[in-house]
Amino acid sequence: MRVARGTLLRNLAGSIGVLCTVAGLAFGLPALDRALPAQRPAGDGPYPVGGGVTVTPPPGARLDVTLTRPGDTRGTAVFLTGTVRYVVVVTPFDGSLAEANARLRRKITGVRGHEITGKEFPVRTASGLNGLQGTYAAPGRAGRYLVFRAGGVAIEVTAAGSAPALSGALPAIEASTRTIAYRGGTA
Amino acid sequence: MTQTLPTAPRRREPVHPTPEWAHPGKSLLLPAFWVVLMLIAGGAVRVALFVRDSFAAYPTATLLALVLFGLYAVPFCVFVAALDYLEREPPLLLATAFAWGGLVATSISIRGNAAVHNLVAKLASPGLAAEWGSALAGPTVEEIAKALGIVAIVLVARAQVNSVLDGVVYGSLVGLGFQVVEDVVYAVNAVAVAGRGDQVAPVIATFLLRGFLAGLWSHTLFGALAGAGIGYLAVRTDRSLLVRVTVAVLSVLGAMAIHFLWNSPLLSLGGGAGIFGDLFVKGIPPLLMILLLVRGVRHREADYYMGQLAALGDRRIATEDELRVLGHGHLRAGARRYAYGRGGVKARRAVRRLQRAQARLAVELSRGVVRSGPAPAPDPAAAPTASAVGVARVADGPTCAPILGGSHAVRWRDRVLVERGRMLALGHPEATAPLSHNGSIRRILGGIAVFLAAMIVVGLSLIALGAS
Repeated sequence: MRVARGTLLRNLAGSIGVLCTVAGLAFGLPALDRALPAQRPAGDGPYPVGGGVTVTPPPGARLDVTLTRPGDTRGTAVFLTGTVRYVVVVTPFDGSLAEANARLRRKITGVRGHEITGKEFPVRTASGLNGLQGTYAAPGRAGRYLVFRAGGVAIEVTAAGSAPALSGALPAIEASTRTIAYRGGTA
Repeated sequence: MTQTLPTAPRRREPVHPTPEWAHPGKSLLLPAFWVVLMLIAGGAVRVALFVRDSFAAYPTATLLALVLFGLYAVPFCVFVAALDYLEREPPLLLATAFAWGGLVATSISIRGNAAVHNLVAKLASPGLAAEWGSALAGPTVEEIAKALGIVAIVLVARAQVNSVLDGVVYGSLVGLGFQVVEDVVYAVNAVAVAGRGDQVAPVIATFLLRGFLAGLWSHTLFGALAGAGIGYLAVRTDRSLLVRVTVAVLSVLGAMAIHFLWNSPLLSLGGGAGIFGDLFVKGIPPLLMILLLVRGVRHREADYYMGQLAALGDRRIATEDELRVLGHGHLRAGARRYAYGRGGVKARRAVRRLQRAQARLAVELSRGVVRSGPAPAPDPAAAPTASAVGVARVADGPTCAPILGGSHAVRWRDRVLVERGRMLALGHPEATAPLSHNGSIRRILGGIAVFLAAMIVVGLSLIALGAS
């Protein structure tokens, strides 16, 4: 059982072509993606997160465009203030604030090593949205979470970083979370 | 003495039969075989890790997703098997095509899609990435990754890709593998996004949405279109390379264009009823277009193989009516139903076996060389001569009738005659069915009505489940 030399060479060329295209898609595109910066200035004005929710980012914050996805009914905005990651997620939700809070807590504790710490207390934004706020921790990281209910959406906010970085950025982040608004007004 | 004629070059035929000398073991000597094996192994590891992690987090939901989408693949496989009735593809190659789609193309696409989404967000804006990212990443990365699978099949087993229809079969199986694994990933992600733990409702909603409302005109269909072009490139060697490459590129671009239209916000009505608008505007027209294309290439292949049987001119092998019926799936099924009505289960079984034997004989006749030789006696038990192994055409004269096919053709000719004998004994001598245009129209209208009803039920179920 033999294969003609010409057939073998054509097959080898075709195989290399397939392999190169696979490598281009699976490794070339991600390499190109990594070569371009993912962050850009977030701006000073209200940022449309999605689902009708806006937030004014902390001064000097940068936006991670690879994780930020605005939409009509849902959206995500990921800001970076120094090394602290400040995330606002809007999803369609028809439950109560307590249910939205329980869901966010499950998401946080679902990540290995993360646990809720301390007590929760109510918060209120400048536009009149009522919510709950709490803290969480992971090895080497501290976190703050907030959850709001407005219209048909739940707004989940998390801010996490090393303890010193978070405590330094917290005043600006708290000022930012107070600017969260649904459809430009109250719930 | 038998005179062996040189094999006539049949380059203009729509089918290039697998040569008798083709041996599956030869694939092991080809670099492409080892490249495909390596990529499938790598993809399998990646998908297995995903399934393992999903089981750890959501065991019930993951199991349900695997079962539902596994079952979902069954009717597609039955449809592809019906397409592939006459010249069946080796099961191992079909499995390879499915594995490429499910393991390799999905693994490539997960990385490639994420990169394209990010690039759109970086070079334009996150808003554009959110709205158009899927429309740009899906068609480019996924269609190329799937088309590579069809090219890989051609490289590994060129002799098995005999017609444009074979390209359609391999392409649709690559697409089906992709669709099943992608849907499982989507279902598990839906459970994670819902954030309510190991719940099955998101899996069912994903199954209804991606399986039914968006599934019939999804990857299986795109793969079939790309496969037709790549099959054309591989088979139609009577055309210039430029024409063949152009057709292949256009077919892949066509698959990309349909995929782009489906993923894009273009022509979308939005809102709860928007999915039905998408279905009629963006789903059904491409589905009908590609089904018509597949019908055309299937008829061309069927005509070729029926020509092989007709060349024998032997009514014991196949009557004119049987040749009309054998090339079309619904007519074959009609002949079996008719046999059941006349002679019960035994007659239906006999017709099924006769049809299978006729199809195999047609394929074997196409594979063998044509020789001239003395026509054997009409006695079916007559053994072929050692020097002219094959099936003789029933000639007008006693001598110089062509001998078609080889030893396999003799075996299947004998099988056909045995099955014919069984049918004669059952009093149902012919595997055919009376022509009934009314029945066809009723069946088509009934099918459309059932389809529309099913879509409405699925849509209402989705609304009830609160899918968004």
